[in-house]
Amino acid sequence: MNYKTVLTVCPYCGCGCGMYLPVLDGQLGQPIPDKTHPLSEGRLCIKGWAASEHVVSPDRLTQPLVRTGDDLKQATWDEALDLVASRLMTLRDRHGPDSLAFLCSAKCTNEENYLLQKFARTTVGTNNVDHCARL
Amino acid sequence: MNLPQEVLTEETRQIVSRLLRDNQVVGVIGLRTEHNHTGPHLFTSADDLKELTLEPRYPLATICQAILSSLSQGKLGVIVRGCDERALIEMAKLTNIEMERLVLIGLSCSEELARQCRCRRPYPSHIDVGEIVEGVSPLEDTQVRRLLEQNVEERLAFWQQEFARCIKCYGCRNICPVCICTECVLKEECWVERGQIPPELQFHLIRAYHIADKCVGCGACVAACPMEIPMTTFYTLVQEKLRELFDYEPGLDTKQKSPITTTLEETPLREL
Amino acid sequence: MAGLVTAFGSGAMTNSVPEIEEADCILVTGSNTSENHPLIGARILRAQRKGAKLVVVDPRHIHLAQFADIYARSRPGTDVAWVNGLMHIILTEGWEDREFIAARTDGFERLKEKVAEYSPERVEAITGIKQGQLREIARLYAGAERASIVYAMGITQHTTGTDNVLSLANLAMLTGNVGKRGTGVNPLRGQNNVQGACDVGGLPNVFPGYQQVTDPKVREKFEQAWEIKPEFKGLPQEPGLTLVEMMNACAEGTLKSMFILAENPVLSDPDVNHVREALQNLKFLVVQDIFLTETAELADVVLPGSSFAERDGTVTSTDRSVQRMRKAVEPPGGALPDWEIICQVAKRCGGNGFEYDSPEEVFAEMAHLTPIYGGINYSRLENEWLRWPCSSPEDLGTEFLHHDQFAKGRGLFTAVEYREPVELPDEQYPFMLTTGRQIFHYHTGTMTRRSPSLAREVEQGFIELSPYDALQLGVQDGEKVTVASRRGVIEIKVKVTSTVSRGLVFIPFHFAESAANVLTHRALDPVAKIPEFKVCAVSVSRGPQPDVRCD
Ligand code: SF4
Ligand code: SF4
Ligand code: SF4
Repeated sequence: MNYKTVLTVCPYCGCGCGMYLPVLDGQLGQPIPDKTHPLSEGRLCIKGWAASEHVVSPDRLTQPLVRTGDDLKQATWDEALDLVASRLMTLRDRHGPDSLAFLCSAKCTNEENYLLQKFARTTVGTNNVDHCARL
Repeated sequence: MNLPQEVLTEETRQIVSRLLRDNQVVGVIGLRTEHNHTGPHLFTSADDLKELTLEPRYPLATICQAILSSLSQGKLGVIVRGCDERALIEMAKLTNIEMERLVLIGLSCSEELARQCRCRRPYPSHIDVGEIVEGVSPLEDTQVRRLLEQNVEERLAFWQQEFARCIKCYGCRNICPVCICTECVLKEECWVERGQIPPELQFHLIRAYHIADKCVGCGACVAACPMEIPMTTFYTLVQEKLRELFDYEPGLDTKQKSPITTTLEETPLREL
Repeated sequence: MAGLVTAFGSGAMTNSVPEIEEADCILVTGSNTSENHPLIGARILRAQRKGAKLVVVDPRHIHLAQFADIYARSRPGTDVAWVNGLMHIILTEGWEDREFIAARTDGFERLKEKVAEYSPERVEAITGIKQGQLREIARLYAGAERASIVYAMGITQHTTGTDNVLSLANLAMLTGNVGKRGTGVNPLRGQNNVQGACDVGGLPNVFPGYQQVTDPKVREKFEQAWEIKPEFKGLPQEPGLTLVEMMNACAEGTLKSMFILAENPVLSDPDVNHVREALQNLKFLVVQDIFLTETAELADVVLPGSSFAERDGTVTSTDRSVQRMRKAVEPPGGALPDWEIICQVAKRCGGNGFEYDSPEEVFAEMAHLTPIYGGINYSRLENEWLRWPCSSPEDLGTEFLHHDQFAKGRGLFTAVEYREPVELPDEQYPFMLTTGRQIFHYHTGTMTRRSPSLAREVEQGFIELSPYDALQLGVQDGEKVTVASRRGVIEIKVKVTSTVSRGLVFIPFHFAESAANVLTHRALDPVAKIPEFKVCAVSVSRGPQPDVRCD
């Protein structure tokens, strides 16, 4: 038996409520609201309480997928990553860096968004960077 | 008399450390302060004991139940206040949780906390840490007293106004140690219309019925309610009736049966 | 956001969430707070219990409205008019904060002239808000010692979004309600890290920390830090395309490839039929996500990323609090943490500087280049609660902005004229449609519809219809109707409710099979480039209508 609780932040709205994720024998359980969190004070809304549910959904993607004709087929990481790199670079060389565009994500971390825009700006050479939640 | 918090915490650490050292338990559930926040934690070695804390109160019974179900051998320690122990006892009546597999480290609450919680029994049956302090009658609560003086219409109006804030987070149900039916009727369309906020009054009434003879007064539901709806005032009154009429209090003994039946499928709540 | 930058010099929430409790008057508009930011909605109600007056102005009678001291139902898209009306009354009554205006702002005279044109009578005619009510709101807001404005996408998602925000900023400055505790102009960010995505450069015109790409000095700093290869001739100098412009460029064929990180524009963007066609037009589409979303289905390569429980990092909540997310479990199967995937792609494209051992290293580099995050690091986040700007290790962060002076120096009033929404109801499309979210779901439903306890509450999309209109159309609660706009047609279940008024309908946008954004249009706010999700014209007819086509 192995049990731990991990302090983190609700993945849903911008309130940023605090929660402990309990993990029992590797299985994620229902969040426990963090009573010492200055914003949420031990409370969550229904989405926060359900925050573990999508994580364990059987629909999760577990392998890279690559299109062959009309279908997306499973591929290895090497195949998928090499394909992405070679296609992106070929298109850039042929049509210029501004023929590529990048969408960051309001669901990803600061670090991940930073890296994606760094990649777009330094490696591809375009400022075509935006995200889906303009406000 | 109240001992300083640090003294109590240190005493608790020593007890936990002894239990772990002597292999009497596989681990002890308590609270830990880490990353400047405090939450439930399973202590399995002396390494993180310096981070053990006693406050704020978290409902630990549900965690015990989960861990016990996956613990094939050995015992589990848990630091319990009065309400935690009562919650475990009620839980044992409802589920297959075996009290014999738990080692309870009893912690008595301070006078101040007892007053805050309006708790009749701010101590567990056996106290390892702290000293017994006198209980407080829930009827001392100003809100409870005001409600008692009101007539039925006034009370209904009060509750309608309070429950109008409800955003149906299910927090009150999720956090409650005795609200543990696997198939919760609150989710069923036939009882409460889905997808609507505030939910109909039934939502709260059904929950109130279901925990009427089980509520151990831990207050976790109110603490978890984003809208700060004082639902325990409601439960408290039912509890007082139970005491008065049947001399029954939930959470004292696993063998004691509730004088009323509260499942919706069977007989409805007997007229009080 | 562009509006607040113009007025104050920073687009973020001016004040922190806990400060809401210190306000004496809270004006909530264009934010269904208790559903979309429930824990902030809860704070607002707590503030009210502590004595604050709550004013809600919204076209829909939202959950919060039933508790408001004043609820005013405004016609959608008329925000500039009623805010100008409030300022008109405040100036007529002499309730403005003259000291604040003189000491800290510019442009007051022009504003004064403009709002003089917005008499309560005229405002009532435009907005539907009764004169007496408008006066009462003006009295409460201007009379409060501390007044706070809370808004969300109901204000920004209009072709006049920037104007709406400028108006709210005007109102706050006029009464001296900015730069002190418990006041301010507070946009609530919809998703858990919208604020952060903007802060760290997920925008076409700025590098991390809102440093302009057009500024040669800024570029030079980043060129050095990022060790740009000489053959690149420096970082790109012109601002790039915004999201809706990207979609147009896809359709026109000038964009050849897109890399989409955990977003689902096929549901979230306006006029989704257009978005779908646009993305299909690409030569190469990469989507990195945790589910096969409607967008990922169109991709040439799909990269499986990690959920929030499977990776370390930081997010920035709506009130600028930078918080740590921590890994609890391993990603399923072959899925990887998103930061690792991006580094892998970058390295295989020949990118320089993508060797990191942990998100902490990434953060350190980012903070070093981003002055507003300059004083923040992982070890401080272990012990402190930090809101940006936090520029040095000694800086304790910033609870509220613009204390002694505005981020841009002096605050700027802008005289704003009311403009009608781009598309108004007419004979063919007699209803006004507004879109949004509801409490049980989130964004495009990708995560929430796969969460049983959320999906159970609301399984399908619905359209809110007023009892009057339901009667006129002869439709009952739960019945199916066909909703059409000039862009598309959907079938959807009816929910009869007085949340909406006569002539107004509402559809939440979470549901793929009845996607509200089939109907919405692409018209953009000219400055902020935010689409007008909140107003468009539709027709509603009973039952399935196989013949209804959009023209
Ligand atoms: S628990 Fe609810 S209110 Fe809190 S961050 Fe999550 S979605 Fe927002
Ligand atoms: S109803 Fe509330 S007070 Fe009673 S046991 Fe449940 S959580 Fe505790
Ligand atoms: S915790 Fe409060 S808001 Fe949530 S369901 Fe219970 S009563 Fe409603």
